[in-house]
Amino acid sequence: MKKKIFLTFSLIFTLIFGGMILISSCTVTQKIADKPGVQLWAENCNRCHNAPAVGEFSNAQWDVIGQHMMLRANLTCDETNKIVAYLEGAGL
Amino acid sequence: MKKIFLSVIFCLPILASKNLSAQTMDSMNVANSYLNSNSNSTSGSNKMLIMGNAEGIFVLDSSSANFTDVNFKPIFLWMLSDKLFIEAEAEIETGDGEAHLGLEYANMCYKLNDYMTIHAGRFLQKFGAYRGRNGEAFLNRQPTKPVGFGDGGIGPMNEVGVGLQGGLPFGAMKLNYDFYVSNGVELLTDSANVGQFEYEAYLDNNKNKAYGGRIGILPFSNSCVELGVSLERNDKTGEVGSEFANIGSTMMAFDGSFFHKISPLKGTFRLLGEFKNQNTDEINLASDSGGFYAFKNYSSCFYVGASFRPDLLKNKCLRNFEIAGRYSQFNPPVDAPWGGPQRTQTSISIDYWLHWNTLVKFCYQMQTDTPNQFIAQAVFGF
Repeated sequence: MKKKIFLTFSLIFTLIFGGMILISSCTVTQKIADKPGVQLWAENCNRCHNAPAVGEFSNAQWDVIGQHMMLRANLTCDETNKIVAYLEGAGL
Repeated sequence: MKKIFLSVIFCLPILASKNLSAQTMDSMNVANSYLNSNSNSTSGSNKMLIMGNAEGIFVLDSSSANFTDVNFKPIFLWMLSDKLFIEAEAEIETGDGEAHLGLEYANMCYKLNDYMTIHAGRFLQKFGAYRGRNGEAFLNRQPTKPVGFGDGGIGPMNEVGVGLQGGLPFGAMKLNYDFYVSNGVELLTDSANVGQFEYEAYLDNNKNKAYGGRIGILPFSNSCVELGVSLERNDKTGEVGSEFANIGSTMMAFDGSFFHKISPLKGTFRLLGEFKNQNTDEINLASDSGGFYAFKNYSSCFYVGASFRPDLLKNKCLRNFEIAGRYSQFNPPVDAPWGGPQRTQTSISIDYWLHWNTLVKFCYQMQTDTPNQFIAQAVFGF
C-alpha cells in the first residue's frame, strides 16, 4: 500500500517536473525575460531576508554570494546572473 | 662488496641529477599541458568568502533568568570556477551547557547546466522550507523554533549523500526542485526514544538509502508566493541485523510563503506556513508485564507565522522595527514512550533591525509544556 502511494507520488512528481522542463524551454514570457537585475534583486532577495545594499560587498564577493544564493534559494541561472551583474555594476 | 656498495652510493647523486633533469623537462611539458587545459582560468577566478552569524539568547520565566545559547556559525564559501562551488558551515553551540563543534554542511557542487546542479557531501536538503532556510537566525523573526520543527521534531535537518537541484523559468512562473539520495534517518531503539529518529547522523546504520525531494512552484511573475511539496522515503531505518532492521518511514511536507510590499501601509508583509508528517511502521516492544505492545507511530506538526515591517516609512527608527507572530502545533504519537498529548506554542515578537542581517528580537512565548517566557535574542550576521 505504502509503495503504491509512493509510486503514485513519484509518478505525479515526474510528470509535473518533466512536463514543466519541456514547456519551460519555450515559454518564458517576454515580460519575465525583460526584467532588469534591480527588479529581480528586489523581488527575490527580499523574499527571505532584507536585501543587502549594493556597496556591502566587492564584485568578487558578489560572484560568490550569487552562487551560494542560487543553491540556497533555488534561483534560476538567468536571475542569478542579472542580479549579480546589477550588484557589481552599481557596487564597488 | 664494499667497493660496489660505495660506487653505488657515489653514483646515486649523479643518477639522481640526470633523472632530475629529465623530470624537469617532463614537468615543464606537463605544466604546459596543464596551462593549455586550464586556459579558461583567469587571475583571481578562485574566490573565497566567509559569511555566517553569531547569536546569543536571554530567557526569563517565573523561576529563572538565564543567558542561555551562544552560537557561532561561520559559513565558508569557495567559488573554484563558474561551475565548481563549495559551501560549508561549522557550528559552535553552547545550548546544553558546554561548547559543541559540529559540521552543519559541507556541500560540493558542480553546475551541469543553467537548470541543474549536482551536489554531494553533507547538505541542507530541502525537505520543507523551515529547516535549512526559513529557520536561519536572521530569517526567523522569532528567537525560537516552532514546536515539532526543532530537536525531537519531524524531518531531517541535513543529509549525507548526493542530489540534483535547480530552478527553471516556466512562462510567467518559476519551478524549483531538489532531489536527493542519502544515508537517511537512523532509528533510535533505546527504551526512552524507541521509534524516534536520529536526523543528523554522519554515518549510515544499514545499506539502505533514503530518497526524497522537494518541488516548489512560484506561480506569480513577481515571485511573491512559493508553494512546495516534499517527500522522503526510508525503506529501512534500523541497524542492519537487528529486530528493527526493516522499519520504514515516510515523511511529507507542504510549505507556503507569501511576501509583498504594501504601499498604503508603508511596509512589507510576510506570511509563512508549513505542515509536516511522518508515518513510521509499527514497532513491537516488550512491556513491563512480559507481553508486547505497539503504538501507532504517526506524528505531525505545523506552523503559521506572519510579520510586518514598515520599511517604506521615512522615519529611520520606526522603519527598522518589525512585529511578528507565530502559532505552531506538534502532535507526537500519543502512546509512544517519548510521545504524549498535543503541544502548542504561540509567540509574539518585536524585532529591531540594526543592519540588513543583524537584529535584536524581544519575544513573549506561551507553550503548553513550559512556563510562559520572555526571550531576547541578538543575531549578528557577517
